[in-house]
Amino acid sequence: MRRARLAIATAALAAAVLAALGRVALAAELTVPNRPGSLKFAALGDNGTGEQPEYDVANQMALWHGQFVFDMVIMLGDNLYGRQKSEDFVRKFERPFKPLLDAGVKFYACLGNHDKPSNDTYKPFNMGGERYYSFARSNARFFVLDTNFLDPPQLEWLERSLQDAREPWKVAYFHHPLYSDGRRHGSDVELRVKLEPLFVKYSVDVVFSGHDHIYERIVPQKGISYFVSGAGGELREGDLKRSAMTAAGFDGDRSFMLNEIDGDDLYFQVVSRAGETVDHGVIHRSPKS
Amino acid sequence: MIRAWRFIVDHYLLLPVGGGVALVWANTYAVSYFRIVQTLAFPINDIGMAFVLAYLAQELVEAALPGGSLHPFRRALLPIVAGIGGTVGAALVYLGYLQTGDEQILAPGWPIASTADLVVAVATSRAIFGRSPVVTEGLLIALTSEVIGLAAISRHRFITDVHPFAVVLIGVAAGMAMIFRRLGVTTTWLYVGGAGTVSWLGCYWAGIQPVLALLPIVPFLRHAPRELMSFADDAPSHRSPTHFESSFEIPVQLVVLLFAFVNFGIGLRGFGTGTWAVMAASLIGRPLGIVAAIAVAQLVGQGLPVHMDWKIAAVTALAAAPTLTFGVLIAVSVFPVGPLLVETKLGAVGTIVGVPAALGAARLLRVGRFESDTSSGGFRTVGPESATEPTFR
Repeated sequence: MRRARLAIATAALAAAVLAALGRVALAAELTVPNRPGSLKFAALGDNGTGEQPEYDVANQMALWHGQFVFDMVIMLGDNLYGRQKSEDFVRKFERPFKPLLDAGVKFYACLGNHDKPSNDTYKPFNMGGERYYSFARSNARFFVLDTNFLDPPQLEWLERSLQDAREPWKVAYFHHPLYSDGRRHGSDVELRVKLEPLFVKYSVDVVFSGHDHIYERIVPQKGISYFVSGAGGELREGDLKRSAMTAAGFDGDRSFMLNEIDGDDLYFQVVSRAGETVDHGVIHRSPKS
Repeated sequence: MIRAWRFIVDHYLLLPVGGGVALVWANTYAVSYFRIVQTLAFPINDIGMAFVLAYLAQELVEAALPGGSLHPFRRALLPIVAGIGGTVGAALVYLGYLQTGDEQILAPGWPIASTADLVVAVATSRAIFGRSPVVTEGLLIALTSEVIGLAAISRHRFITDVHPFAVVLIGVAAGMAMIFRRLGVTTTWLYVGGAGTVSWLGCYWAGIQPVLALLPIVPFLRHAPRELMSFADDAPSHRSPTHFESSFEIPVQLVVLLFAFVNFGIGLRGFGTGTWAVMAASLIGRPLGIVAAIAVAQLVGQGLPVHMDWKIAAVTALAAAPTLTFGVLIAVSVFPVGPLLVETKLGAVGTIVGVPAALGAARLLRVGRFESDTSSGGFRTVGPESATEPTFR
């Protein structure tokens, strides 16, 4: 009995030491400045499989949240795959992200092609029953689009909202990438021809998308930074076909992004399911007159 | 030269020309292609195609006149029932296919798969059956599915401000056309440019698909009985400059060319669930639905026409499978620019494989030109070539 207690105590001590070491290692790896008062958020796409890799990514996010306290996550679509009944929302979203939800992290979703259109009413996705919407946090305004159905009323709304935005940072996110070197899907040029002129005209700074199950950072196009982060649960290993527009990429495992907006800088760090940093950097915006 | 033009017109050959150019351009210099298409899409898809639909509707009205190939209506009953069956079959397979996955967002696209391409259906039937009355039946099957498809897209989804009262303008336009007719106005342009414009505005503002705008005007245009889908009809009544078909022949062909150019440029990597759903529905669902509907009609006492047996019915159903051009037209009315549109358009274009499938089935079942009994020159033309009275078994 005593031996058993001793074994349990030893194991607990070892676990605590390992956890502490892990924390130390994580803190050392944090490349974003983690300044007080800055806007911190995570981004992930194509996560909603309900399978182990999604749980691993969610656990990794929770682990990093311990050091880098982001208060929101932008979801880049395909938030749920397959059947989408109430128990699926639990298995594919609420359970894996429970630590973050319990910590008060808010999720803001956009719809992917695998999401049921009615998911815009699912409370934890904070879409307010709208398939496209915008919200402001700190010095940034986020424009969330439904690229499944980019109809003229949505484009009119987007132009009005961009025009009215007063925040210095303008961040757009939606499911289908305007630029991507994913072999399976790649760039959606038709959407680009519709959206890019508005983004340029109204000085959108950063665009996040998913759909291709890889991570890719695109060389800025017409002054706009583009990210593809579609490996939050699904993965298409080896699908990245690097080209001249690839600034960085990762298609070896699942990944998610940590972002921090501090003044005129947006810092980003891309973390794999195993906790490795696979890309990081900073985007500096030039204040427009 | 004139014969060559007639051949081009008869077979809508400008369509594959425009489509081929678009497909190559969109997959090589995509940005420049989509920039150009962006400016052309509205005038072609929402205005120009109204002329094409009016052109086809004019033919339909004329074919239904005494002396036309669809007269009397009774002979059209079985093909119409078969056409409805084909539409239902395609819709069920489309929606059923989506149930196997999670992309319910594609569900509004069922009319894409449910409509048949009239021109392809007739061309395929002619290639198999020559000038047999079976061709007219195949055409009616395709036509029925097109009418249902057009009815399904009659609500224009992509405008912000809908003014329901503008529907009155459509009635005003029809009234204008009726008055022109009573006054003996022969200039087609007045019907189209005057009444047609009012009708188009009425449709657009009322939230009705504007490609349907000229349909209320067509019944008041000058008509002459004709055989359906025979554009080479050089009867003076059809060649007269006061005849819609004559005045608009070249503009309509130009629109067809541009329609293909604007809409057939699809990135080939854009395939997805919508592609397979449209193809499965068109190539499997519609033929099955057609044959099932004919079987039901037989059960309730509507016999097969004497020139048709089950093998011929099956091949006719397969010939009516491709959704191609009309599928693309419906797709651009159902989905806005984006991946869903690309997927479904690819599916519609992909249904062209239904043509060799129908030819292969005809060969396998030995019907039409493949019939072993070649006493009628390879074609089994039972009954009068252009029967005005059907004979049922």
